[in-house]
Amino acid sequence: MEAVKSAEGRNPKAEGQSLLGWVLLAAGFGLLLWFIASWWSRTELAPGGLKLLIGAGFLIGALGLARVANSFTKTTNALIAFVPAGLTLLLALVTVEALLRAYQVPVGLIPTPSRVLSTLVDVRQVLLQDAYQTVVLEAFTGWAVGSVLGVGFALLVSRFVFLERGFLPYASAFSAIPIVALAPVLVKMVGIEWQSKAIIVAITVFFPVVVNTFRGLTEVSHMSLDLMRSYAASQLQNYSALRIPNALPFIFNGLKLGTTLAMIGAIVGEFFGANGQGLGFRIQIEAGRFGFDIVWSAIIVASVIGIAWYNAVAWVERRLTGWHVSFRE
Amino acid sequence: MSLFRSPNLVPMLVIAVVIALLYYPLMLFANVPVAQRALDNGAALECKTALECAPQMRSPVLPSPQQLLTGFRSLLFPLNAPTSIIPNALTTAFNTLMGLLLAAVVGFFFAIGIVASRAFERSLLPLVVASQTVPIIAIAPMLVVVLGQYGVQGWLPKAIIAGFVAFFPIAIGVAKGLRSPDPMALDLMKTYNAPTWQTYVLLRFPASVPYLFTAFKVSVTAALIGAIVAEIATVGFQGGLGRMLFENSRASDVVAIWVIMISSAVLGILLVALVNLAERVVTPWKR
Repeated sequence: MEAVKSAEGRNPKAEGQSLLGWVLLAAGFGLLLWFIASWWSRTELAPGGLKLLIGAGFLIGALGLARVANSFTKTTNALIAFVPAGLTLLLALVTVEALLRAYQVPVGLIPTPSRVLSTLVDVRQVLLQDAYQTVVLEAFTGWAVGSVLGVGFALLVSRFVFLERGFLPYASAFSAIPIVALAPVLVKMVGIEWQSKAIIVAITVFFPVVVNTFRGLTEVSHMSLDLMRSYAASQLQNYSALRIPNALPFIFNGLKLGTTLAMIGAIVGEFFGANGQGLGFRIQIEAGRFGFDIVWSAIIVASVIGIAWYNAVAWVERRLTGWHVSFRE
Repeated sequence: MSLFRSPNLVPMLVIAVVIALLYYPLMLFANVPVAQRALDNGAALECKTALECAPQMRSPVLPSPQQLLTGFRSLLFPLNAPTSIIPNALTTAFNTLMGLLLAAVVGFFFAIGIVASRAFERSLLPLVVASQTVPIIAIAPMLVVVLGQYGVQGWLPKAIIAGFVAFFPIAIGVAKGLRSPDPMALDLMKTYNAPTWQTYVLLRFPASVPYLFTAFKVSVTAALIGAIVAEIATVGFQGGLGRMLFENSRASDVVAIWVIMISSAVLGILLVALVNLAERVVTPWKR
């Protein structure tokens, strides 16, 4: 019964469109890859006809992609829904590779994606050490400290109206301050070791966490507050049973925002002084001596870690606040 | 001014006074050990005791108020000197605002793509979302150098980076705004048999303006950070606050970087205020 239904539900026209899309996409990729393969070890500019071929390959691929993506618009599985985006990324990378090879752009200026990949494999030891310094020591420590302090401070502020009125306006003004300007001051104050960057990260993370947590603690429905009062609940119970659970989604928003800010803070902090290690230091140094393949590799490492970290926090959030409206179907 | 009638005023002032009163002892507390060490090492200082030296060290842990004032005076005047804060802050503000403008223009097209085509949304939006959890700023030093190689110089590379950082919130905000018109109004356009472009020009674009400003408010600070980081990688005078920051950080002029930090904080707050003002002027019906 189920099978019959789904077979009937299929639209033969859309099916054909999707098939045509895959064929076009494969043809586009085929053209681009054929060019890259044939031009792999050549050092002269490609003739005009071949450049046109690259353009055609990209266009055909993009046309195919549009059709393929249309057949993915109804899926709810997050991984499957990412397929069109992944294909777009792949198509863009292959096209860039082909263009860079056709125009013989100096490797020192814009390295081809394949070269970046091989560099990434070559220098992985150094980059992993850098990542340990930047992510584990600086970003994660700073993020953890800033988040704990932020939540604690928000609890305090939500309890005392005077503090709320006196501090919160400053906190929102603080969010308008560019953190990069803090970096050199703190590096000069604390030194070039990892601690200075961890402090930068902690300060950066602190304010959004405070503001978000405070909103969560105070945006409680009046009905619930009245209920707590009619139960003669103490302040402690008020917080543990009502305000803190209510604030959890908000806190996680702040924490997720914080992961991105933490990576940015640590990397930018290293631009202003580091002890010879760290992803930001590596990027700064290598950009100065045109080692852009290493710069890109460092950016890839930072990006992958950034995305993984964000999703890890999002995963914990789903585990802890699965009851919240935003996760219900 | 609503601020002066707000109930926040008195607590805010009290907190400010407490911090101001605590600052001097804190400064002494932080500086005295360093000053003592300098004296013990026999540094040739004009002062005799560590307590006396603390407020006037060359590279203090916390600068004293007098030092900050002197620093401000020397970095501010003459107003039009290439090392003065004012022209550099104006440069940075200009780079930031051009970046926002750039992000708004590109963001509008991207948002139209999202609203008009599901396929476009599916194939590009996840990448843009993922790019937001990425420290995009890391690209800045390289982008400035590469763009410079191709003759793109001056404000454009900085605006590109500032815009790059600000792009996502703006694109998403505008897309939300383009979808926000009342369904009744959309139906009305349909009954008038209006072509799609008219629906956009007459209905969807005006509806998205308030969302655009909300997005501006979120992204103006990010754009400012982008502009400052981009300026670090450029060379020359009047290169903006980022350049000043980097030069003075290299020269270990601690008081100067404090002054520049405070100035860029003020610039950040002013830019947010500017966006608020522009919002009030452009969308008066929202108030």
